[in-house]
Amino acid sequence: MGKEKIKICEEFYDIMPPEYRELVDSSTYGKEGRGWKDVGVAKELIEEHSLCAGCPESIAFRYVLACLPNPEDTVMVGSTGCTSLVFPHVAVHNIHSLFGNQNAVASGLKRALAHRFPGKVKDVVVLAGDGATVDIGLDMTLQSWFRQEKFLTICFDNELYANTGGQESGLMQKGFVSKMAPAGKKFDKVRLPEIAEESGCHYVATLTVSKPNRVEKAIRQGVLIAREVGPTYIQLYTPCILEIGKQAMEGLQEMRDSEGPNERFAFKEYISEEAKAYLASLEKEKKPAAIPTQG
Amino acid sequence: MYAVAEVVDEACVAHKGCRLCIMYCPEADTILFDKTKKVAVVVEQRCKGCELCVVVCSAAKHNAIRLVHR
Ligand SMILES: Cc1ncc(C[n+]2csc(CCOP(=O)(O)OP(=O)(O)O)c2C)c(N)n1
Ligand code: SF4
Ligand code: SF4
Ligand code: SF4
Ligand SMILES: [Mg+2]
Repeated sequence: MGKEKIKICEEFYDIMPPEYRELVDSSTYGKEGRGWKDVGVAKELIEEHSLCAGCPESIAFRYVLACLPNPEDTVMVGSTGCTSLVFPHVAVHNIHSLFGNQNAVASGLKRALAHRFPGKVKDVVVLAGDGATVDIGLDMTLQSWFRQEKFLTICFDNELYANTGGQESGLMQKGFVSKMAPAGKKFDKVRLPEIAEESGCHYVATLTVSKPNRVEKAIRQGVLIAREVGPTYIQLYTPCILEIGKQAMEGLQEMRDSEGPNERFAFKEYISEEAKAYLASLEKEKKPAAIPTQG
Repeated sequence: MYAVAEVVDEACVAHKGCRLCIMYCPEADTILFDKTKKVAVVVEQRCKGCELCVVVCSAAKHNAIRLVHR
């Protein structure tokens, strides 16, 4: 579809908001191989929002939106939390329902889109916080994986309930003390990536957002495998600098410190045999097209 | 009074391909690449003054971006 549907009729061009005109003029809807390198030179699909200055969730949002392979035919499903402050300012169709039910909504949506637009690629991507994914929505998260629903689930893991002031979450580290969890967490961080693998996800990745090229590769694989093979899951460390007592400019260092080889956010990836075969077939398709340019 | 980032054009090495501040700024469309001047440029109204751009630019020893008060 590209930009067909958002084109402005000439008579109204001058009265449209400048941000909308920029979307039409230089955004990357419909661009082959869009990715994080488009930031800074092409209009991004995210506008000003109210997340804290320096919040790594904002960085993660920029990369995710820059890397979706098919944003004009993607519907995102959000949930309550700091991420829900951003969705109203995002230029990709998105749905907000109730706290925790994002994977149930996405299941119905994905099926409905397949009926309504047979033969057309329509991607569904869930993006929610750790409280929504692992605590309140865990039932819906797991059931969608058991049922092999074909969409990508992204969890912005900041290891607590940021939006309500720092309560303990299932993904919080053992022993961690926060403002609203002063006794310290008594249990281990839930191993959702391992659970995802056991529950039938065909692609699972754990990483921070300190390296945009890595985020790009994970998002692309997550969306493509979900489209053709089955459910996929990506857990991104997006520390809540406010609730862990960091300064606005310290988020990047916090992510780098947490991704060393033995740290809890060391880069990890699981790809099922079926998904590997699918990725290999995509590579094969690409190759014949590459031959003429080599001559 | 609030703080916003400002690029020192003479020190910016975006013409050599540096995109560090553009890539790590948490806010969208806030540091852009000026194709004519070949430098990074801050859109002040969007800047939240978090200073992350200053951190990444000075860690790379370019020291081409600083916070100023408005
Ligand atoms: C059903 C329901 N229960 C509780 C809340 C209150 N609430 C709003 S945001 C939030 C925490 C969200 O935490 P998380 O999903 O980790 O997202 P974050 O804000 O950390 O990004 C809670 C408990 C709510 N809005 N709805
Ligand atoms: S409260 Fe934490 S997660 Fe929410 S916007 Fe602020 S820094 Fe980001
Ligand atoms: S990081 Fe510094 S040198 Fe690099 S583009 Fe930004 S301002 Fe210029
Ligand atoms: S201070 Fe923060 S918001 Fe402002 S330009 Fe630098 S990185 Fe972006
Ligand atoms: Mg959270």
